[in-house]
Amino acid sequence: MLRRSLLVMLSVALVAAFSLTVLASSEDGVLVFGATGELRTLDPHVSVDNNAWRAIYYCYDRLVEFKLGTTELVPGLATSWDIADDGLTYTFHLREGIKFIDGTPFNAEAVKFNFDRLFAMGLAPAGTFGFVDKVEVVDDYAVNFVLKEAFIPGISSFATDQGCIVSPGVMEHDVAGDWGQDWLAEHSAGTGPFFVDEWTHGVRVVLARNDSYWGEPAKLEKVSIRYIPEAADLRMLLETGEVDIGEKLTVDQIEAMKGTSGITVFEAPSFCCHYVYMNCQRPYLNDVRVRQAISYAVNYDGIINDLWRGTATQMRGPIPVGLVGHDENVFQYQQDLEKARELLADAGYPGGGFTLKIMHAPVIPEWRPMALVIQEGLAEIGIKLEIESYAWATLRDKLNTGDFDMSHGYWTPDYADADMFTWYWFYSQNWGLAGNRSWYKNVVMDKLVTQSRIEVDPDKRLALFQGIQWISVGDAAYLYLLQANYQIVMRDWVKGYVYNPMLLNMPNFPGMYIEK
Amino acid sequence: MHLSILESGTEEKRSPNSEWRRVVRGLRKSPLAVLGSVIIGILIAMAIFAPFLAPYSPTKMRLSERLSPPSSRHIFGTDDVGRDILSRVIYGSRISLRICTVVVGLTIGIGTILGVTAGYLGGWVDELIMRISDVFLAFPALILAMAIAAALGPSLDNVILAMVVIWWPRYARVARGQVLVLREIDYMVAAKALGVSGCRTFIHHILPNCISPIIIQATLDLGEVLLTAATLSFIGFGAQPPTPEWGAMISLGRNYLRDNWWYATFPGLAILVTVMGFNLLGDAARDVLDPRLRRSP
Amino acid sequence: MIIPIVLGVLSITFLISHIVPGDAAQLMAGPRATPEIIERIRRESGLDRPLYVQFGMYISELFKGDLGKSILTRRPVLADIVDYFPATFELTTVAMLFTVIVGIPLGIISAVHKDKILDQLSRLGSVIGVSMPIFWLGLLLMLFFYVRLGILPGPGRITGEPPAHITGLFILDSVLTGNWRALVDSLSHLVMPAFVLGYAVLARVVRMMRSSMLDVFSQDYIQTARAKGLREGSVIRKHALRNALIPTLTVIGLSYGELLGGAVATELIFAWPGMAHYVVGSMRTLDFPAVMGVTLVIALVYILVNLLVDISYAFIDPRIRY
Repeated sequence: MLRRSLLVMLSVALVAAFSLTVLASSEDGVLVFGATGELRTLDPHVSVDNNAWRAIYYCYDRLVEFKLGTTELVPGLATSWDIADDGLTYTFHLREGIKFIDGTPFNAEAVKFNFDRLFAMGLAPAGTFGFVDKVEVVDDYAVNFVLKEAFIPGISSFATDQGCIVSPGVMEHDVAGDWGQDWLAEHSAGTGPFFVDEWTHGVRVVLARNDSYWGEPAKLEKVSIRYIPEAADLRMLLETGEVDIGEKLTVDQIEAMKGTSGITVFEAPSFCCHYVYMNCQRPYLNDVRVRQAISYAVNYDGIINDLWRGTATQMRGPIPVGLVGHDENVFQYQQDLEKARELLADAGYPGGGFTLKIMHAPVIPEWRPMALVIQEGLAEIGIKLEIESYAWATLRDKLNTGDFDMSHGYWTPDYADADMFTWYWFYSQNWGLAGNRSWYKNVVMDKLVTQSRIEVDPDKRLALFQGIQWISVGDAAYLYLLQANYQIVMRDWVKGYVYNPMLLNMPNFPGMYIEK
Repeated sequence: MHLSILESGTEEKRSPNSEWRRVVRGLRKSPLAVLGSVIIGILIAMAIFAPFLAPYSPTKMRLSERLSPPSSRHIFGTDDVGRDILSRVIYGSRISLRICTVVVGLTIGIGTILGVTAGYLGGWVDELIMRISDVFLAFPALILAMAIAAALGPSLDNVILAMVVIWWPRYARVARGQVLVLREIDYMVAAKALGVSGCRTFIHHILPNCISPIIIQATLDLGEVLLTAATLSFIGFGAQPPTPEWGAMISLGRNYLRDNWWYATFPGLAILVTVMGFNLLGDAARDVLDPRLRRSP
Repeated sequence: MIIPIVLGVLSITFLISHIVPGDAAQLMAGPRATPEIIERIRRESGLDRPLYVQFGMYISELFKGDLGKSILTRRPVLADIVDYFPATFELTTVAMLFTVIVGIPLGIISAVHKDKILDQLSRLGSVIGVSMPIFWLGLLLMLFFYVRLGILPGPGRITGEPPAHITGLFILDSVLTGNWRALVDSLSHLVMPAFVLGYAVLARVVRMMRSSMLDVFSQDYIQTARAKGLREGSVIRKHALRNALIPTLTVIGLSYGELLGGAVATELIFAWPGMAHYVVGSMRTLDFPAVMGVTLVIALVYILVNLLVDISYAFIDPRIRY
């Protein structure tokens, strides 16, 4: 018995040793992307998750596209588009002679089908096109979008993942009127440079090159997006080269990997802002002086230079650097405990003496240490801050019902316009998850943010944004913490990567290749 | 008067006191049990004298000193916000002890009451309690605990609550088993015949006799309780910052293991050693009490 | 007997899942969904009905073999489970084999050398296993054997192409299709997670085997056999082992539940695409139809394994007949 068990153990060890020779034999045409987030569905009309978009985006095309690496719009499935003078109608002129991967021809009917499907299913991606009233087929290759009201930034919504054009052929897979949802959740039906070849749940999604692509074909034969839940594991796989490129690692992990031979760390500013909601409807926080005091109490340097190791920039008001409208002269809070104490005393709380709570969610690992730093800062001015961690869904629910004092949060724009930061954050009709998560209301602000949505004159619009930024800093509804740099780690042999701040977590797979 | 006759007649066979003496005697002979006791002793001392032993406050951050390796200044190094890990490990012993005592204390209380009630009353009460305990025993413990902790929101108190909910049936079973054995023993029958009240029998005879098997079970469970709590914290359903809970520390330290090995290693060792202490003690206690081993040559 | 237990398990999970302060309809709709969308989803999914009606609906669907739809994947929970279950089953089964193969000999050694140094060592070794935080050991091993030494593969079930899908059990599938590369690949991926998981329950098996061997040793027939002058080795093999195995088997059956629990941490650390992994994800996002489904399956597996253990007594002990 004993001898037999030894034998078994020995053979297991042998097998293991032997396996080494089999390991690490990745082919040149295949890019392995390691993702710590799991995707749940591949249907662009269902998903609002960057992890899924990464797999979805390049299986489809959109009417308009972001020019490689920029927020600028270029023709996609539409060769050109007109915006009516009143801003109430968009007309897209479509590219001719394109077929979906399932053989269905692409035309105006197909475009209309997509928006019918999107609105009929009525899931979160439909919200991106909330400004659209109806879609009209003009002729085979022209389509009109009639808007509910003029909406300046609207056009760039068509370049987002929600704007992916799906083949009407999915209706062949319709089950009980589900618009082919069950089928499309696991497949792709687009015109894009890739298609979904395999999805082994919890393991990987494999995209294969669409050889009949109408545009420039992808260089890679396949992209295998592997799901690696633990960042520590992903790091190991990157170091051994089993994974070519991947995210997300923590700032400290990336910092430690910089300078490792064979590893390249790409870093660039992003529009991803980490900030803290201060619920303006709550006791203490309903006093602007308390919110200002809190804004003065935080050790911004510690957060940015120590925790984020300098891979972030302190925010200056709500509009991030890089977006048109950002005002670099807006007042920026710095830690000033004296001033903070004065403001507290002014507000009638000399020495603080009250308790607040701050929520965070472990899915964003950076939040916990940030909360600790804020906690320490507030302790200095006599405010006791309790840290609470919640499941993502619970946190969102509490935000939506206003059942919190303070909460960590982050925001990335869906379309490249400052409106994503002003209207959503400050308009009082957007209380809760919609975007105004500080439950803030200021009548002047309401006017400004709605005005800026429809102002056609660019200069007047800039002036509006400037006003919004100054008021928002004075009202201190949010704790403006930082604008994070985007960082992604890859092997040296990965070439052709181009970052686009609008397509966060969605590398340009069609242009990438491997050169070992 | 009549009771004293009963008691003297059973003293030798079933007194909890003599059983304890035997256990202690047995434990002293086993080197592993001694090791276990020493570990637990140190843990308790650490928890009591934490403020004197810890060189720093467990929550004081020094961002400029974050992730410092072990040195004479910070013997176990510092974590990602510059807190002293040694101090956190020392204070963590308080959290661990609190989890263990509260969970085991409550489960013993609830389990014993339910188990004894079931065994003593029998009939449908017994049936009901035992079927409910079957349900909880068929549950994958960690998953139920996770569900409860997820539902109530992650916090140490909710972890404790979740663990009480999954653990009580073990004690209910042990207690009920003892009662069933005792019910058949002559003196109980005699007590009944002599008209001693149910309540009295319960307090004077049944409870004391249940205690030793329950204590053994508890010693064995302590380690598991601690490990389960740590696992829950690791997954993210447990202690909240800045609580220096060992499992949570490993959870945070896991992303640093590659470059900052000390972060997760010391809390890991603390869990390993403490749980081992409980297990060694529990193991030895069980051996001493295992009736089948008594006969062995 | 099984049905009431399973019903009990389900009703408790259901109850827990509905005290959660998260709005399932909001969750299904996703961020930035309008209130109308959320309201419609709530109505369509029956989330606006009283709790007992919802539970009734769930159970009646269950008897039709429908476990409901996952909130997040919008796929049938059953389909998800079919995807994730084989990985967990393979891992726990191999871990269990490891426990049996190592634990039983260790238990025998302990018994034969009772209270001597070998006994103390084997017990200490197994107690360390049961005391080890699984997630911590897993991390350390991977850092050492995968990153430092590079002799064992890293996280995941397989490095290369998985074998053609037949059962979803990679070992079985690669044997069936004669895909030896995949067999070696998946076996080598199993070494660390199975060891970590199995090591955690090893102590129970060792302890039980040891004490039942000691028990058997004291029986008359063993004394007789020894008196007949049989060699100790053959006494152990022919007489003691068989009888000592029965109680150990029970313990192994019970340990299976613990393996399933331990699989949660193991799967997370080793990026193992199994059910525990799936359920943690569902729990974090409060996807309770998925949680209910997994709980149901795990409870069923646990009950079945213990039933199997009962039946296997008959093979070992001729006195028991079913």
